[in-house]
Amino acid sequence: MTSPIEGGREGDHPGQPGGAPRSLATRQAELVEALTGGKPVPYGFDAFKVDAARVALLRKRAGEVARQWPMLAAGFGDRWTASFSAWAATRPTQGSLRDGWDFARHLRSKGELPAIAGAELAEREARWSYAGSAAPRARRVPAVRSAAGAVVVQVAGRIRVIRRRGWAALRRS
Amino acid sequence: MGIGWRPEISGFVAGLPGLRFAEVVAESVHAHGDLPDGLPALLDRGVAVVPHGVRLSLGGAEPVDPARVTHLAAVASRLSAPLASEHIAFVRAAGVEAGHLLPIPRSREAIDAVVANVARTTAELPVPLALEPIASLFDWPDDELTEADFLTEILDRTGALLLLDVANVYANARNRGEDPLDLLDKLPLDRVAYVHVAGGAEHQGLYHDTHTDAVPQAVLGLVTELCARHRPPALMLERDGDYPPADELTAELDAIAAAAGYPAITA
Repeated sequence: MTSPIEGGREGDHPGQPGGAPRSLATRQAELVEALTGGKPVPYGFDAFKVDAARVALLRKRAGEVARQWPMLAAGFGDRWTASFSAWAATRPTQGSLRDGWDFARHLRSKGELPAIAGAELAEREARWSYAGSAAPRARRVPAVRSAAGAVVVQVAGRIRVIRRRGWAALRRS
Repeated sequence: MGIGWRPEISGFVAGLPGLRFAEVVAESVHAHGDLPDGLPALLDRGVAVVPHGVRLSLGGAEPVDPARVTHLAAVASRLSAPLASEHIAFVRAAGVEAGHLLPIPRSREAIDAVVANVARTTAELPVPLALEPIASLFDWPDDELTEADFLTEILDRTGALLLLDVANVYANARNRGEDPLDLLDKLPLDRVAYVHVAGGAEHQGLYHDTHTDAVPQAVLGLVTELCARHRPPALMLERDGDYPPADELTAELDAIAAAAGYPAITA
């Protein structure tokens, strides 16, 4: 019999034999954590197949986020699915709009937001108020936001892109 | 013959002269606001549009969210749908979204959870509910029942109809090393409300039910086998991305109709 617990340390895997019986709710939560939170695959599951499902899930999420955030995805080109998946592997989905938003902010905080994606993020931040913990809400007051050198102004819901790319990006292109 | 209506192929669907039936993802339809562009014209033509829920989590150990049930019921009413459908699956647990349909154990405890959630749902739905068994790349380690016994018991105890996805039957059988005809022979096919057909692809030895690839010949063969056993009221193509040119979609619809022995809807 092959070990069902590859991919993590023994003892980390929920539901090993000899433990107290666990409810369906607990076991479903453990499976979701393994698939979305980078947690070990619960005991007894085929780790290869569960991991295949986990990777397929990330690929699907990457595709959905790319439709919501086309410029962000375009900034990565062929590396989009791998780059997004690496970030998303331990972060359960909040829906593709917020997933892309959170990823873009993460990149900006590290100075790695692609220049081509700056206006897309700045426009959404000027239009919507999003604290990262609840669904975005439309701003009622004018706002100016910038990302990766792009600058966007929103007044009464109307958007104007003041500058599409930072000067550094322009010089490079 | 029908097709899964999606905004990206709305124009293609509108141009199908023989279309009588379509399915729409229930969560993509507002309960009270405007219908998505293209849907009102289908309804005006008399096309039956069935709301297909994907986020109810009927297989969750937790009770279904009453707001989601209310939404599905409202959408079914808005569309004047003949029925609604959902999955035998769970999609979230302890407040965390899986982002996908996940399998439940084929156990008594899980059946009890599904039956309770279906009862909570049908109590509010104005139309019959059809349940779809999902495709899964993996199974639970503690399955007590065969898939046929598991599904039959759920249908018997809930009184629900069966939404049979032949691509899911194919995918599960292939990934488990089983014969898909064994399941077809054991399911209560007289309970089938309609049938899904979709494409997929193989990665690393596993068949993925992607809905973004062409329908394989083996799945079309299964359509023929199914119809030889029991002719379902309707079949439909499910496509969810990487939409091909219109002539390829037309060819897929025609191939499914031919495999089933149904008239083509494309001309």
